[in-house]
Amino acid sequence: MRIGIDVGGTHTDAVILEGDKVIAATKALTSADVISGVTDALDVILKDGGVSQDTIQTVMIGTTQFTNAIVQRRELSEMAAVRIGLPSGKGMPPMVDWPADMKDAIGAHIYELHGGYLYDGFALAELRQDEIDELIKDLIKHKIKNVAIASAFSPMNAEPEQVVGAAIKKAIPDARITLSHNFGRLGLMERENAAIMNTTLLPFAEKVVSSFLGALKNRGLTCPAYISQNDGTLMSSDFVQAYPALTFASGPTNSLRGAYKLTGLSDAIVVDIGGTTSDIGVLQGGFPRESNVIVDIGGIRTNFRMPDILAIGLGGGSIVSDDGRTIGPQSVGHKLVTEGIVFGGDTLTTTDIIVAAGQEDIGDRSRVSDLPQETITNAKATMRRMLDQNIDMMKPGGRDIPVILVGGGAVLVTDGLSAASILHRPENAGVANAIGAAIAQVGGEAEKMVSYKAMPREDAIAEITRAATKRAVSAGADGSTVRAVDIEETQIPYMDDGATRVRVKVIGELAT
Amino acid sequence: MSESLTHIGLEQLDDLALGSVFLATGGGGDPYVPKLITAEAIKQFGPVPLLDPKDVADDAFIVPVGSVGAPTVSLELLPSVEDAAKTLIAFEKFIGKTIDAVASFEIGGGNSVIPICAAAAKGLPVIDGDGMGRALPEAQMMSYPIGGVKPTPALAYDYAGNQATFETDTTETYERHIRAFSMAAGGMITAAEHAMTGRQLKDTVIPGTVSFSIKMGELLREKRGQADTLLKPLQDLFATSIYGQCKLLYTGKVIDKSTRIIGGYDIGEATIADFDGQSENMSVNIKNEYLLAKIGDRVAASVPDLITIVDFETGTPINAERLRFGHRVAVFATGCPDFYRSETAMKVVAPRCFGFDIDYVPVEDL
Repeated sequence: MRIGIDVGGTHTDAVILEGDKVIAATKALTSADVISGVTDALDVILKDGGVSQDTIQTVMIGTTQFTNAIVQRRELSEMAAVRIGLPSGKGMPPMVDWPADMKDAIGAHIYELHGGYLYDGFALAELRQDEIDELIKDLIKHKIKNVAIASAFSPMNAEPEQVVGAAIKKAIPDARITLSHNFGRLGLMERENAAIMNTTLLPFAEKVVSSFLGALKNRGLTCPAYISQNDGTLMSSDFVQAYPALTFASGPTNSLRGAYKLTGLSDAIVVDIGGTTSDIGVLQGGFPRESNVIVDIGGIRTNFRMPDILAIGLGGGSIVSDDGRTIGPQSVGHKLVTEGIVFGGDTLTTTDIIVAAGQEDIGDRSRVSDLPQETITNAKATMRRMLDQNIDMMKPGGRDIPVILVGGGAVLVTDGLSAASILHRPENAGVANAIGAAIAQVGGEAEKMVSYKAMPREDAIAEITRAATKRAVSAGADGSTVRAVDIEETQIPYMDDGATRVRVKVIGELAT
Repeated sequence: MSESLTHIGLEQLDDLALGSVFLATGGGGDPYVPKLITAEAIKQFGPVPLLDPKDVADDAFIVPVGSVGAPTVSLELLPSVEDAAKTLIAFEKFIGKTIDAVASFEIGGGNSVIPICAAAAKGLPVIDGDGMGRALPEAQMMSYPIGGVKPTPALAYDYAGNQATFETDTTETYERHIRAFSMAAGGMITAAEHAMTGRQLKDTVIPGTVSFSIKMGELLREKRGQADTLLKPLQDLFATSIYGQCKLLYTGKVIDKSTRIIGGYDIGEATIADFDGQSENMSVNIKNEYLLAKIGDRVAASVPDLITIVDFETGTPINAERLRFGHRVAVFATGCPDFYRSETAMKVVAPRCFGFDIDYVPVEDL
């Protein structure tokens, strides 16, 4: 049996799964210290399920702790950002476009060195030993232990990052170092940003992981524990201590994966309707479709692997105006239970509409009995239109596709949706996130810019797949089960006709 | 903006970059990184005087400067703040003349701001105008060579300060050579080319496009909202410009988009279906830029007129690389500056130059 726990900003969900079967599930408020909420949730499911600790084989945890730390500028450690790319990018130092409060929060020390590579593997510049020595001297002088290193085209040739990283580690053995090529993607500034955010979270990650493990141990759970990543795969607890930033956006990913598990539909649109927004995502082969655009986290541009989510201002607390012709984006949010009309308040929300229409019995129904029929009809049409139009935007290739509704606001959808070939409302949809965490597998990814003229396509893909597999195995996968789930080839304008950016993603079962 | 703009400072940059994406008609590259280095240059060296081409002396020496290469490569090979200014210094040394002002190759996309970055660091004014009034894929499509300005002597400067100089007959040959050098130098270089006198500038520049792009950005920012509510403000803005009439051609949803790289260009087609299913579908042909829009078989607009696709909900212009299935969009077409409707210009920018077997008909007559 497996336990899945999702620690969100508002709710902590937990489930016990036996194969595909949900044995016990709970949804509780997230506690201020996080850990007591987790132990409480564990107590509830272990008791409800009548399950003994020693039958639990693994625990999977999804958490927004690290995203929240970045967004709220807390628990961040002083660090150094080292860029290897001179003489290019002079006057464009690391963090040049970061919000000032974030730069202040991490007290970043910035270093720029010569080195790195060009797109075709030619050296941009040679590394200079005197610059490396100078860097180390300065790190020691300022007692800096956390270092992020990024070099130009490191996804294709990581040697400069490795050389400088090793030199620092030799001089400062307890240094915590992030090398940007471990975040894979091309885009020096964005990859460097990811490495910097990761580095500033490293000491906090050690704290979080040891307190999660402590909570499990407290409840007699001695099985291996894993943390879920933003692409729906798992990291071992050791791995998350080195790459906490890979947990960013694991919440929406787990919700999509949970919807897949609950329905068995590997290709579908998932609509997670909450209090303020509806988050629309796409399942492809049972995994979230990833976004290709720059993702902004706490005001910082990154190119993390993130699910492609379209968030629209429609939730259970969305405010209805203009006789039902306008809904949201304003929402009463978690104050729905006091401000919604059926709850005794005086703000007309989408929940009031559904109660007035007689489709749900929530709160005091008599309070909406005199709501004009026209408003109800308009509002229902508006909600339906918002969902239909936005689901259409997310549809892959315009095919007919099933839609899975999850989240507490799913009651808003009372009739069908014309954008859906079939509409599914699975049981236990409220804890889809925790289920998603519980079923996660282990993944790896690699990317390179290659010329199919210089290297045949099959050889190039095989080489990149090997690199991705190596990453998956080091993250805890059983090498014999690893397979490629996505191969993306992007041709590059204004270059040779054979120049292509290739990205391979692999997944495998947890090694036991 | 009631009074005319005399300088480009930090407060104009975001609007200039946003406006430049509208005028880029789907191409031109993302101006994000060029905007960042320009902001750093302005912070360091101060705002840049903006010079109306009318006020340029006939014997002044004007040099267009900008980036040449593959935008994807510049994701890793970052530009330096002083690259563009150093390109000008090397160019002055090469030809033994002092530059009086710099100008832009194309107002669409990243090269709208590179000359400002160069001018800031070199302490020069920048011309309020450019060589395209939009974005187009090749150097010979610039108004400067169309108007008889020679491409060379030209100089290209790479990230490490390595240089190449060019001496070619035609801009077509120059374009091939500089692209080859750009690839050899890591995929992105800065070039000073098509140097000219003030007199030649007045005869060939597409005037006022820098300040116009700022006004465009300001409009898109202030009137951000559904695309149909943008039409009137856009028409008002274009009415007093060098551009022609602006039309809202179509609103609908992208139901198909396919592109592939052929000969270094992103070539393809997007199909858009009308929101109410009343009209025939629109197809838009892409070669880096949006070049031809048809409703059914009927041509609705074609190059060199400007075809711009914006997000229907916000009015934000969408780059061709970013346009995708399901996008709810509005398609605008705007008459190009008169310069591009001349017989000489038509020889390089007519629809047939892009492989479309149709005669050019101005958008206002369609």
